[in-house]
Amino acid sequence: MKTKVKPLVSLNVNPCKMCMPMGAVTAMYGIKKSMSILHGSQGCSTYIRRHMATHYNEPVDIASTSLTEHGTVYGGEENLLKGLKNLIELYNPEVIGVSTTCLSETIGEDIARMIEKFYELNPEYAYIRIIPIHSPGYGGTQFDGYFRGLYQIVSHLARECEKNNKINVVTGMQSPSDIRFLKKEFARFGLEAIFLSDLSDNLDGGYSEKYSRLPSGGTSVSEIEQMGGAACTVEFVGMDLEYSPGQYLADRFGVPLKKLMLPVGLRDTDEFYRGLSELSGMKIPEEVELERGRYLDAMIDSHKYSGDGRAVIYGDPDFVLSTVRLCVENGVMPVVAATGSTCKMLKPLLEKEIKPLGDMIFEENYCIVDDIDFKTMEELAVSGNANLMIGNSDGRRIEENMSIPLVRRGFPIHDRVGGQRLRMLGFAGSLMYLDEITNAVLACKERGFRKELYNEYYKDTPIDQGIREEVLDTAAIKKREIEEKTKTHPCYNCGAHEYARIHLPVAPHCNVQCNYCVRKFDCPNESRPGVTTKVMTPEEAFDRYISVKEKVPNLSVVGIAGPGDALANFGDTKRTLELIREYDPKVTFCLSTNGLMLPKYADELIKLGVSHVTVTINAVDPRISAKIYKFIDYMGIRFTGENAGAILLSNQLNGIRLLASQGIICKVNIVTLKGINDTHIPEVVSKMKSLGCYVTNIMPMIPVKGSAFENLVPASNKEVNAIRDICGETMLQMYHCRQCRADAVGRLDNDISLEVNEKQQGEPAEQSRDQEQSARFAVASKSGTLVDQHFGQIQEVYIYESKNDEVRFVERRKIDQYCTGAENCDHKEGKIDSIISMIEDCKGVIAMRIGEEPRNKLTEKGIFVYPTYDRIEDAVKKATSMI
Amino acid sequence: MKPAVVKRSDSGILEDRKKSIVYKVDGCSGNGIKCDSDSVSGAVSQRACVYCGARVVLNPITDAFHIVHGPIGCASYTWDIRGSLTSGDDLFRTSFSTDLRETDVIFGGEKKLTAAIEEVMEKYSPKIVFVYATCIVGVIGDDVEAVCRTMSEKYNAHIIPVKSPGFSGNKSTGYKMACNAIMSLIRNYKTDKKIKAINILGDFNLAGEIWIIKNYFNKIGIKVLSTFTGDSSYESLIRAPEACLNVVQCAGSSTYLAKQMEEEFGIPYLKVSFFGTEDTTSSLIRIAEALGDMEARAKAIEFTTRMEREAEEVIKAYRSKLQGKKAAIYVGGGFKAISLIRQFNLLGMKTVVVGTQTGSKDDYEIIENLADEDTVILDDANPAELETFMKEKGADILVGGVKERPLAYKLGIAFCDHNHERKHPLSGYEGVVNFVHEINKSINNPVWKYLGK
Repeated sequence: MKTKVKPLVSLNVNPCKMCMPMGAVTAMYGIKKSMSILHGSQGCSTYIRRHMATHYNEPVDIASTSLTEHGTVYGGEENLLKGLKNLIELYNPEVIGVSTTCLSETIGEDIARMIEKFYELNPEYAYIRIIPIHSPGYGGTQFDGYFRGLYQIVSHLARECEKNNKINVVTGMQSPSDIRFLKKEFARFGLEAIFLSDLSDNLDGGYSEKYSRLPSGGTSVSEIEQMGGAACTVEFVGMDLEYSPGQYLADRFGVPLKKLMLPVGLRDTDEFYRGLSELSGMKIPEEVELERGRYLDAMIDSHKYSGDGRAVIYGDPDFVLSTVRLCVENGVMPVVAATGSTCKMLKPLLEKEIKPLGDMIFEENYCIVDDIDFKTMEELAVSGNANLMIGNSDGRRIEENMSIPLVRRGFPIHDRVGGQRLRMLGFAGSLMYLDEITNAVLACKERGFRKELYNEYYKDTPIDQGIREEVLDTAAIKKREIEEKTKTHPCYNCGAHEYARIHLPVAPHCNVQCNYCVRKFDCPNESRPGVTTKVMTPEEAFDRYISVKEKVPNLSVVGIAGPGDALANFGDTKRTLELIREYDPKVTFCLSTNGLMLPKYADELIKLGVSHVTVTINAVDPRISAKIYKFIDYMGIRFTGENAGAILLSNQLNGIRLLASQGIICKVNIVTLKGINDTHIPEVVSKMKSLGCYVTNIMPMIPVKGSAFENLVPASNKEVNAIRDICGETMLQMYHCRQCRADAVGRLDNDISLEVNEKQQGEPAEQSRDQEQSARFAVASKSGTLVDQHFGQIQEVYIYESKNDEVRFVERRKIDQYCTGAENCDHKEGKIDSIISMIEDCKGVIAMRIGEEPRNKLTEKGIFVYPTYDRIEDAVKKATSMI
Repeated sequence: MKPAVVKRSDSGILEDRKKSIVYKVDGCSGNGIKCDSDSVSGAVSQRACVYCGARVVLNPITDAFHIVHGPIGCASYTWDIRGSLTSGDDLFRTSFSTDLRETDVIFGGEKKLTAAIEEVMEKYSPKIVFVYATCIVGVIGDDVEAVCRTMSEKYNAHIIPVKSPGFSGNKSTGYKMACNAIMSLIRNYKTDKKIKAINILGDFNLAGEIWIIKNYFNKIGIKVLSTFTGDSSYESLIRAPEACLNVVQCAGSSTYLAKQMEEEFGIPYLKVSFFGTEDTTSSLIRIAEALGDMEARAKAIEFTTRMEREAEEVIKAYRSKLQGKKAAIYVGGGFKAISLIRQFNLLGMKTVVVGTQTGSKDDYEIIENLADEDTVILDDANPAELETFMKEKGADILVGGVKERPLAYKLGIAFCDHNHERKHPLSGYEGVVNFVHEINKSINNPVWKYLGK
């Protein structure tokens, strides 16, 4: 039923990337007192806000120029100028990033010129730094957008300035928590760092009693202005960038650029501290050495578990590179390393890392892919036999479909909390990361190894069965119990006729339509299966059981026999039995069914303590079944003909087999249908014998008016007895069946259900009083549930009828609108008449409000007017009482 | 009638926005509020776009290929984020995008789209493909309709264009475009054959809600033919013209479809609501009445009485813990806001702020009628306004979408998720129980006690 999609050539199937504006906006979030506005249609900002809000769990406010058709055709300058003013008024920022989107780039908006114009028109805002960022969604991913944003920030704000001792720090999109770590480490070495950018507070703020709409953390403009005079730029991106802020600072201001890997894993964290030590001239603190030792110790402790890991690693290029390096240090084999960005230089970098490990463990089967989508990744994960994924939440579909555990890192993480606090940098961060990876492998093993080994090695051969006797013994005890119960069950033992049974009609629905059956609930004098006076809830049924038990002390059996099928209403059936079992641990539970749902519920029935099950099986040949059953409803689908017969039969047989193998006493009812199954019955009986049934009950058909077989001549008692005699040679036959009702009570020969019922019946027939009071109302409603419309605005009315305190919906009627605006006022006269003619059969009109003129007109015609605001039903009731 | 003006909390309110905010005064302020208009640039609207609206309505169709023709963002941000469940195919949970790049923008994306449809048709021959046109495809000159027409003929399948460039209106425009797309499918299956069964419109099977409602119909003996579009499929949708009644749950998105079906197939429709016990009960009974099915009516009365009694017991228990608390509501459509105010009333709670993204004049009039004196009513609100008024009114809980949640929390206000991503049903009697449970769980959680100093 499910469409299995493979990767496609011409379509991206499940994107492993987001768009440039997302990155640009994130970059801006690290600047103090900054806001972003996206120049494009409203959806871009809303979607990006939603994505960021679920990851960071912070309010994320991003403005939009909300371009419309007009702006798209004539240019969006007006929108941008106004948008800037509005957002300044609301947020009072010091920096604004104006990022373009697909739409504004495509229509060729010159945002730099528009920003100039804004300054010209609003000189009072000259102090605000407005940065244009070209970030068309189709131009790259969030990774590209992020660095383009940083580049624009630096190139716009950094100045020629005096040399200082500060260090510029550039990173990719890291978690706020990891940025905080980096800041601390630079400070620990006495280094004054300027972070580009620093979202650690703005996207991971604390709670405080005073909420500030514009977050106040981040790197300030004046700090960025000083970047041109810094001692050095450290760019924690282990590869070349098209838009490198560090390169810009080197080219423009001669600030030396030092490229470092992110401090993830042992090698790169060592390099990180060496770098800090060099820059500061300080020795690496002993504490760091201790941390390093702990991390190393953890690597050793984990190596045999983590070494089982076969990982799929995906995300931004810098994230993938660092994670792969950590993995290979620990023997975790990256079978797929991939990014959704287009990044050709990643492959050689990763190859260098993965190949040596692959060679060591004889693993050549790994892939490195850029511009990937998740569908392709899924296929590679399966062919690479991956048991672990590392990346953002968007891998959760593969986690779900392929049951490969996912260690969540990167952006976005929107199906767990705490995405903003996830760590991977430094020894402590690496340790947490490694522990998670190792634990994912361990959890997988712990969950699966028993089953896996059992499936692999346990063969259930005779040598394995020597220890079964004990189990058999308890089975034998159970069997004896059931035998005892059979002795006191009037249907199963004709010697038990002094015992009484009660059928509780809690199961109204049926999933099989037999051609001889019509289920009616309201015929107290008819006695046959499928008939009941009333359908009960489990609680009502329980009450009835209690009250009957008081009157009929020899009540030994509780049965569920419809009026539909006990298992088609399994919830109610189950509840009923549970209620009674709680009260009476001994009473025998018996149940009859058509068997369609038997395989599904057999185990539960046994758990509920059902000891006797009757299944009606009229044929063991689907061709014959096709003539007997009109349809079956199974798993939400309606089957007819031989298909229906085959499904039903297969479930009946499997169900009985399941029950009989657990010692449950199975009775099979067979309805004799002359010319259809009468000669086939012996075959049915011998099949039942082979399944381990206890008794078969061959019955005549009771012709029911309205059923498909209403004209079928029923088999006589004599004919039925003859068949029973023949079948009696095969197995035990039941000769004393009374074909009882679904709410039968008492002994087989004395049904007292009527007496029991009468006390619960009290409703006199309604029809006789029908003509008393009847009034129709025209109701003005917009919502359909409330009186909530002006009479003047109705284009349709709801007609309700009120009769004997009861309110009934009659129909919805179309009406010419009375009031269509001032210009048509002259024609109202005619209109009200035509409206009145359409509701002439009504005694009243109910509307939220109504004008003087139509009100008079209606009153003149004798139509009562009731203005109100209420639920329709309540309003109609009130109006009725008023007339 | 009083003019609609902002009275007190002027901080954080833009001049352009003031007409969209009113206080309820003297019973009724008439047609005061400005709504159904374009968002104000720079105001940080919470609205999404036309494409989003179209996606809401169509995406739950389980066995369709939903191809987003545009750059990757549009597909990426909408991939499988909604809680629509399926009992059959789950193809709708897979994202397909033509992933337009720089060169496509220069040379046009028609070829890419054609190749994509051809690949899909040849590999999977699906019955329906929806092609969503996003912002730039019209601007770069792609004729999506022509491509779909040609491909439909070539493969004799329903390849349906959805005109949803983000800038071409607001979310409700998207609903309409989706309804048009649905009509262009089912119109082909117009028939004179009628059976006694209903279609359910405007339920997207969030967290299994349509299953709950269908169970009710099953209990009272009314047959449901097609559902629009929760848990639907090609096979189920094309049978819709045979129904004799349409019931419309989410009026904002689907009345337009119901009207078209009434005109073209002669199927009358009835607006209903399955939010809250009162609405659920009267809707079920009324549907039976509309069908003239007195047996179903009797069963509905019996069934709803029992269910209502059970739900009422739960509500009663919770009422003691919720009485007097103050709620703020900011949701997508008017219909939802209205039913929420009523549910809060039943819980003894007061609604102090209420707003919607796409409510109509009529919706706001009803809201005014329902709301207590001095309630703030706003259309297309932004975070600054929500903050201002929730603080001014001392709201205890906000009902809203994902974007509003962190704001509520930062202000120390409880939150109830009433959005398309939720994972618990809010429809029917079960939904009412979930609703009060959730409200209580958040509003009376101990964490709030620790916030003050």
